[in-house]
This record gives sequence, structure tokens and C-alpha cells, in this order.
Amino acid sequence: MHATVEHPAEHVEPKRIFLIVWGFLLALTGVEVLLAYQSLEIKVMLVLLMTLSIVKASLIIAYFMHLRYERRSLALVLMPAMVFVIAMLFVVFPDSLRLLWMSTQ
Amino acid sequence: MEAHAVATHAHAAPTGFIRKYIFSLDHKVIGKQYYFLALFSVVVGILLSVLMRWHLVWPDARIPLLDKLSPTGAPGGIMTPEYYLSLLTMHGTLMVFFVLTTAPQSGFGNFLLPIQIGAEDMAFPRLNMLSFWVTFAGLVVLLSSFFVGDGPPLSGWTAYTPLSAVGSVAGPGEGTGQTLWVISIALFCVGSLLGALNFITTTLDLRTRGLTLMRLPLTCWAWFITAVLALLSFAVLFAAGVLLLLDRVGGTSFFVPAGLVVSDQRIAHSGGSPLLWQHLFWFFGHPEVYIAILPGMGITSHVLSTFSRKPIFGYRAMVYAMMAIGFLGFMVWGHHMFVSGMSPYVGFAFSVFTMAIGVPSAIKTFNWLGTLWGGKLRLNTAMLFAIGFVSLFVSGGLSGLFLAQPPVDTNLHATYFVVGHFHLVMGVAAIFGMFAGTFFWFPKMFGRMMNETLGKIHFWITFVGVYCIFMPMHFLGLEGNIRRYSRFTDVNFLVPLIPLHKFMTIAAFVTAGAQFIFLFNLFWSMFKGEKATENPWEATSLEWTVPSPPPFDNFAGRHPVVYRGPYEFSVPGAPKDYVMQDAPEPVAAH
Amino acid sequence: MASHEAVTLGLHETESMWAGGRSPFAVGSKKLGMWLFIVSDAITFSALLIAYSFVRVASPSWPRPFESASIANATVMTLILLTSSITVVMAVRQAKLGNRSAVAGWLAATMLGGILFDVLHLREWVGLIEEGVRLFKNPWGTPQFGAAFFTLTGLHMTHVTVGVVYLGVIAIGTKRGKYTAEDVEVSGLYWHFVDLVWMFIFPLVYLMSAKFA
Ligand code: HEM
Ligand SMILES: [Cu+2]
Repeated sequence: MHATVEHPAEHVEPKRIFLIVWGFLLALTGVEVLLAYQSLEIKVMLVLLMTLSIVKASLIIAYFMHLRYERRSLALVLMPAMVFVIAMLFVVFPDSLRLLWMSTQ
Repeated sequence: MEAHAVATHAHAAPTGFIRKYIFSLDHKVIGKQYYFLALFSVVVGILLSVLMRWHLVWPDARIPLLDKLSPTGAPGGIMTPEYYLSLLTMHGTLMVFFVLTTAPQSGFGNFLLPIQIGAEDMAFPRLNMLSFWVTFAGLVVLLSSFFVGDGPPLSGWTAYTPLSAVGSVAGPGEGTGQTLWVISIALFCVGSLLGALNFITTTLDLRTRGLTLMRLPLTCWAWFITAVLALLSFAVLFAAGVLLLLDRVGGTSFFVPAGLVVSDQRIAHSGGSPLLWQHLFWFFGHPEVYIAILPGMGITSHVLSTFSRKPIFGYRAMVYAMMAIGFLGFMVWGHHMFVSGMSPYVGFAFSVFTMAIGVPSAIKTFNWLGTLWGGKLRLNTAMLFAIGFVSLFVSGGLSGLFLAQPPVDTNLHATYFVVGHFHLVMGVAAIFGMFAGTFFWFPKMFGRMMNETLGKIHFWITFVGVYCIFMPMHFLGLEGNIRRYSRFTDVNFLVPLIPLHKFMTIAAFVTAGAQFIFLFNLFWSMFKGEKATENPWEATSLEWTVPSPPPFDNFAGRHPVVYRGPYEFSVPGAPKDYVMQDAPEPVAAH
Repeated sequence: MASHEAVTLGLHETESMWAGGRSPFAVGSKKLGMWLFIVSDAITFSALLIAYSFVRVASPSWPRPFESASIANATVMTLILLTSSITVVMAVRQAKLGNRSAVAGWLAATMLGGILFDVLHLREWVGLIEEGVRLFKNPWGTPQFGAAFFTLTGLHMTHVTVGVVYLGVIAIGTKRGKYTAEDVEVSGLYWHFVDLVWMFIFPLVYLMSAKFA
């Protein structure tokens, strides 16, 4: 019933690359924790932490979840849709800022 | 997670009754199950609407049996204002979720998508069965609210907070009833998500050889795009449902504002935002209206082309218009919130994008007209309903452009104008799509033909009837007739409008009555209808290359090959006025 | 041969992945299905995180109660989860190489990671509950703090737990020869996704509420 994988003898990526990615992820986590203890303005902190998290997520998607090694079309079908919807969700924020503004008036 | 459970498709047809008709893995049976689930829901939904119309114009009339259903909601057969709202909520929820989202997509889509793409089943048959039964459970949970506690919730199909979040202080039905509502909707979300990923995978992976994307019937395109919308938007509704449930049973206050007093009682938990619910709900809610209508658009395109004996006008434009509608559909939800207190700057952007949706909608409409233009029309029942779809979509869609403008909408938002708008464009148009689909594919689904005379009588009464019910609503709205109220007869400025209300109610009775003609036709034809041939409509897509009804694995082990698009009608030089998609011989010089 | 077929099918492209009869992405349907599930679930989590941020932004103040011990605990949990992603990668690798028992071993290691994560997390939960944090109140003000914390971490923990069971089923099934390398890979996708979600919950819920010394 399913489309099945076409080339059973898939190539197996070298272990090394995964260990490198893993190392990066650990390091980035460390950076995040250190950042959390800097006295930065909350907006700056948020942007920095989210940027690092997006980098981490991308590494996980690209390497661990193997998307980098699939045909490009798979990523092009999945990622823009997801990113678009999540981006649209951000449109709620003007309202929460306004609520804050109202409650502090 | 369930994906791993499907290892192989059983190649032998199941024999036991339960495996064959109840827990069936066959997409054709599951499609019919969805269809009948929606049919049942629509009957209940119409019944509720008739009760509401009845009460609206004769508020003191005793409605028989209603006090049996709810002694407190309708003492002596006269419904309380609260019970009116409960019926309204159940009507809306049943219709939007269990009818409009269920039959056109999961019903027809399940039955036809695999056949139209030349596959023997959906990609994940087991998941398919699961989606149906989860949806079924959602329906049971929803309907159970009639019988437990103090009745169904009264916060509308949109379950606006804080009304829906604070519990039984907010009125009858806001206790157990509303909790059941949330659970039902969460189940529905799960069923729809599983269904959506199944549809997407099936369309992408299981097309038979030669069936490129641009050779897909427009029905398949519509089901595919709808599935994408469902996958992306039900995910948000599910999140909103989880939060609402926690507000109700866990004591959180995501949606309950500070210092709220309900029924003279101060609500303890506070600090949240009702606006957040509206955002999350409508983030789903607007794509949802397209989830309801897109399959109808697909069916209409398919039927119009077939019975105009002409290729669909602008195939690619139709596909791109559907994509544009789907895409823009995620950028306009705020048009439901112009008076909610939402940021007016954002409101302006929402307004612009909303009007932009008019463009692809108009493209589709003109293409339908272009298809009809100069065609050799075969005006059978399916065709009439498809043309009716176009008519209703235009009539209802135009009023959307008025509502898209915040200054206009501020006046119209809480009135019958909106009710008129969405019933024409979504409610009735989508139902006409289902009728068109039913008359068109009944031969394939049940192996017999439906009765055309009864069909046409049913069409004309329904077509005239729905215009009589819903067109006047626009005028009521312009006169300031507020919606979601149960009694207008005592309101001074509305008294002159009561005769119009009475006219609408009578039209509703007649139209609802006419549906018995359809039900009779459906069930009678199932057993007594004329036997259908393989291709009674001389149509071209793959489902018409297999027997009616199709065998268990659709193509009996054959793998069809597709050589052309789905709308090759009246091709010059071809022996007949249609060329099947799997016909190999070259027909005309390029 | 491909081009000959294309001509007989009336196609212009010589060999198109999209011409039917195969997966356009050259992956199995199960994998595509899991990816779609992940996209959808990612949106659910995003909506929840955005709801949390909405409430937090709208609140004049928000507690920052996590002592460095809590942050250390959550950091260790992050390390465990990241490491369990590596073990699952190993399982997938062994599955492709056809070493069934090695697959079961690596999956078991992954499950252990998941269980450890759950245990550490529950310990944290119990600690907070003992301090008086509830869904609707907490000792530090703004009641939404507890609501957001338990909702987000609770749903994530549910995902981890479901994942442990799922991997267990796959591990046993693979050992018995019931599942293929594709099934292992698909379960791995799910596990990585659970890991990925944590990469957002950890900074947003913990780090942004870390208490300064
Ligand atoms: C050009 C096309 C359209 C435009 C510009 C448009 C615009 C609008 C606007 C501005 C509203 C909000 C009115 C208010 O609540 O004050 C609205 C409500 C609504 N529309 Fe449309 N619309 C369009 C097409 C559709 C379609 C195709 C559907 C369904 C298939 C639909 C279904 C609805 C529903 C269900 C509501 C009301 C929901 C409720 O309040 O309960 N609309 N529309
Ligand atoms: Cu809308």
C-alpha cells in the first residue's frame, strides 16, 4: 500500500558527523545557560536565546532528523508551511503588548 | 505514532460483518461511514434550526416533545432564552464540524481520492479507520451533552471566553455541557489531523503512473489543499482546546480576565485574556471555513466541466486560486475580531488581506462561468446543484466584502447580516456541493442511479427556499436586528420586522420538509434505483473506469496508467465527446 | 528507458519525480506521514508557547523563581535528551546496517534516557508543588506562572512518555523481525522531535525565569 523506499542499500552517514553536531548542541546549550545569567535587557535576552534555539533546532532537523540528506523537495514542502504558520501566530503580540500597556496605565 | 502499525494492506477482502462494515479498513466503507455520520448530524442540526426559527416568531407557542427532551430548558414546551442558546450552540457545532468538515472532505474524499488517483486504498488504512472512530466518539460526546447535567453549552460554536471558561456560574450548560463540548472538539481535532496527514501522504505518494499533479482532477486538488489547511489549523485549535479545558477543570486562567464578575459572583482565578481565545480560535476558524468550502469547489468544478461537455476553463488558474485561498486564509482571521478590542492597526492589515481573498474567489467564479459558457449543458440534478453552488457562493461571498471593512463591520458584526453571509457562502453552498456530489457519485458508491425527477423537485424547492431564508437576513442586519437573541417580538424597533421573520420561518419549514424528498430518494434508490453502468455520465476520471460499485481493491489488481488530464471533453477528432484519462491513443495533434 | 516511458505517457519532462507511480521525495509513506504529524504537532506546541508568551507579555510582572539548582537540573535534563538523540541515531544506523539486536540495545539506551528525563522532571514538579505552586497560584505572584509551567512541561513530558513506549514497541518488534529499518527511522524522527521541542521549552520556561544570585 505504501510507497516504499526505492534504494534499500541506503548510504549510511559516518558516525563522526553526528558526534560533531551533538557537540555543537551541547556547547550551544552551555552558551544559553551562561547567557541566562547575564544582566541583559529581557528583549535582548529573548532574541539571543531564541536565535540560539533556532540554530539548535535546525541542526537537529538537518542532521539528526536527516532532512539534509533527503531530496530537497521534502524540506521545501514541509518547512515553509510550518514556518509560515508559526510566523503568522506572532500577529497576536500587538494585543498582549497593548494589554500590558493598559494595565500599567 | 500510529504510522508504524500499518505494515501491509490485507489483500484479501474481509469477510466478517464487523471487519467489513464496522471496523473496516477499506477507504470506500470509511468514506460511507463519514457520509452517514454527517447525514445523521445534518438531520439533527436542521431539526434544531427549525425549533429555533419556530421559537423566534412564536415565542409563546408550546413546541411538542421539547419539554420531554429538557424539562428545565423548555418548561411546558416553551424554551428559555438559555435553552435557545444551547440549541444554537449545538446547531452550529454539529453543522460546522460534523457536517461541513466531515462529509465533503472525509466522506467523498475518502471514497474517491484513492480511486481517482489510481490507488487501491489510502496510504494508512488503519489510521483512516482510527480517524473515523475518533470523530465518531467526538460526535457521541457532543450529543451526550443533551442528556447529562443541565444541557448543552450556550457559548456558541465559537465558545467565546470567558463565558465558556468560568463554569456553571455562567448559566445552564456551562458546567458539564461545556466541558463535553471541549472534549468533543479536541477529539474532532485528533480525528481531523490524522485524516489530513493520511490525505496528504496519499495524494503525494500513491498517484498512479502518469498522473502528474497537473493531471489531477480538481476534486483531488481540493481535498489535498483542504487537508493541508486542516493539518496546519486544527493543530492550533487543539492547543486552544487544551488551554480551555485547563481553565475549566484545572483552575488556570488563560482566558479569564482580572476582576470578572459573573452572575453576581466574583470569579476567583484571574489575569488572563479572552482576546487570546478569540485569536487562537479564529486562527483555526477562518481556515476552517475554507476547509468546509474547498471540497465543494472541487466537486463543483468537476461536475460543471463534465456536464458542460467542455474542459474546465483555466485548469491551472483554478489550482493556483485554491492555493492562494488557502495561503491567504491564514492571514485574515482577525476579520472576525474587528470589534473585539483587537489592535486597530492589525485590524487594518486583516481588512486588506480579507479583501485580497476576493481576487482568487472571483477567479474561480469566472472560470466556472467560463466553463458553462457555450457548453452543451446537461441539466441533470447534479449539474443543477453545482450551478446552485456557484450562485450561492457569489451571493454569500459579496457580502463578505462589506464585512471586511472595519467601519462597516462594527455596525453589522452582531447582526443577522453576518448570519446571512455565512449561511449562504459556507453553510448552504457547501451543502449544495454535497448534494451535487451525492447525485454525481451515487451510482459509483451504491451501484444504482438516483431518481432524477425527485432530484429536480428537491433541487428547486431547496434552491428557492434557502434564498428565501437567508437573503432577508441581510436586510434584517442592516435594520439592526441583533443575532444570538431568542425573542424579538417584544422589541419595539424590531416589531415591524416580525412579518419578515415569519416569512423566513415558513420558508425554513418548507425547505426542511423538502429534505425528506432527498432522504427518500437516497434510501429508495439505494435498493430500488435503476442499476448503474460503469460510466453513466460519460465522465473521464479514473473512478469511471471501474465497475459501479468498485471491487474491494478498486482496480482488481490492475495498475492504471494515466495519459492525460481529467477534463478532455469535446476534443476535436476524438471518436466520442470525452476521452478517458487512461486512454492511450494520441487524439489530436499538439 | 525513462524517456521512452515519458513519451508514451505524454509527458514533457523526461523523468519527473512527480509523474506518479512513486514517492516524489523518494521516502517511504510512513516517513512522510510522520513528518506531517511532526509539522502539525510543532504547530500545536508553538501555539501553546505563544499563548504562554502572550500571557507573560501582558502581565506587569512574572516570577523568576528558578534557583541555580533548578537550572542545573534542567540543564542536565537537556543533556540527557540530547544524548538520547545520539543513541537513537545509532539505533537507526544499526537498523540500516541490519544489526537487529544492536538496534534493540540502542533503543533501550534511548528509552533509559527518556525515563531518566521523566524522573528528573517529576522530581522537579514535586518540589515545586511542595513549595505551593499550583495551576492557579504560586508563592511569587502572577498566577499564570504555574499554569504555563505545568501545561507546557506536562504536555512535553507526555510526549516523552509516549515516546518511551513507542520506542519500546519498536525495539521489541525489531528484535523479533517484525519491523524494518524504516520503522526504526520513523520512530527516531518522533524522538528527535520531542528533543527539538525541549530546545524551546528549556530557554523560554526555565532560562527566562532564572533567579539571579
Ligand atoms: C471574499 C470572500 C469572503 C470575505 C471577504 C468574507 C468576510 C467575512 C467577514 C469580514 C466576516 C466577519 C463578520 C463579523 O463577524 O462581523 C465573515 C464572517 C464569516 N464568514 Fe466570511 N468572508 C468571505 C468568504 C467566506 C467563505 C467562503 C466562507 C465559508 C465557506 C465564510 C464563512 C464565514 C463565517 C462562518 C463567518 C461567521 C462566523 C461567526 O461569526 O460565527 N466566509 N466573513
Ligand atoms: Cu473568516
